[in-house]
Amino acid sequence: MRIAVVGVGATGARAARQLASTDAVDTVVVADIDPATRRKVADLLGSGAEASEALVPEADVVVLATPAGTQGDLGTQALRQGSSVVSTSDDVGDVRALLDLDPEAIERGATMLVGAGFAPGLSCLLARHASAVLDAVDEVHVAKVGTGGPACAEQHHRALGEDGLDWRDGAWVARTGGSGRELCWFPEPVGGRDCYRAAVPDPLLLVDAFGPMSRITARLAANRRDRLTARLPMLRRPHPEGGPGAIRVEVRGARAGSRDVVVYGAMDRPAVAAGAVAAVTARAVGDGSIGRTGAFGLAALDDPVPLLTDLADRGIRAAAFEGHGHL
Amino acid sequence: MQRLRQVFLAIGVAGLFAAVLRVRGKGGTPPSDGGWRQLEGPELR
Repeated sequence: MRIAVVGVGATGARAARQLASTDAVDTVVVADIDPATRRKVADLLGSGAEASEALVPEADVVVLATPAGTQGDLGTQALRQGSSVVSTSDDVGDVRALLDLDPEAIERGATMLVGAGFAPGLSCLLARHASAVLDAVDEVHVAKVGTGGPACAEQHHRALGEDGLDWRDGAWVARTGGSGRELCWFPEPVGGRDCYRAAVPDPLLLVDAFGPMSRITARLAANRRDRLTARLPMLRRPHPEGGPGAIRVEVRGARAGSRDVVVYGAMDRPAVAAGAVAAVTARAVGDGSIGRTGAFGLAALDDPVPLLTDLADRGIRAAAFEGHGHL
Repeated sequence: MQRLRQVFLAIGVAGLFAAVLRVRGKGGTPPSDGGWRQLEGPELR
């Protein structure tokens, strides 16, 4: 199996390294707009990797780990070259553009896995896994804290300054980014963080996967400075990599005739987790175990357990919240 | 008039001080019950 990774920043480099250590992958093709970076990463990965001058190399599966806002066009190009695609973008525009390619992906017999990072990505897998515990699901709420590399930090900053999309009672509702403060509890050592609405694509992927529900929301953790400066350019250069992050997925519905809620989460460095999710997803797309064509997110998978098990083997472990009567 | 200016100056300085504290201050979080348990074994089958 030949898998290309386009963009070898904080997330892409991790994905490439995970793929290089996967038995089923023969060659990892590394592509990046910076020739020095792609050569350096390919050299570090060893004999099973090669650097490509083409920005979208030919491969069985192309993993897109470029900055938000670029993956719509790159995904279209990869699809038309005959590759299946795994996109890590957390940009609403990218996700919409890639989901719109569903008819073309089906016609070409290709799989386009959209939002295969930390959140969206692992959050979608956990939402699907949690939904299996309940008899019926009517609400899904996702929250995320932390950022990966500089591109992720910039996207996080932008998202807080744009309208968030909530799904409420059968319709999309745009709400001001940075509004709707909610204290969310994440796996330790992250703990409790104030989370706010933001332009994140998780609801798009969850509605696409679960169909109409009463409520689907997503929030990002932010402090006062983040919210006050969200509509300004970033005032400081982001760090090369953010610290520990976490996700929380709360699924509400009915079980055995009464209302119930299942809360799953995960804690890791966002770029590490996103790289691992992209890698296991790319492997599953490449070996055919995903089992369907078209464009969709990880929440649309019938069985998320194989991917969750593969992630656990690679050190990305999910957790369940066990509260005492309240969350 | 002078006294009025002093009052407005004091209010302005206090307001600026409060704004800085509000932006840079660290809020606490209330305690919670319960905790997190790793998913493993049968939950991943």
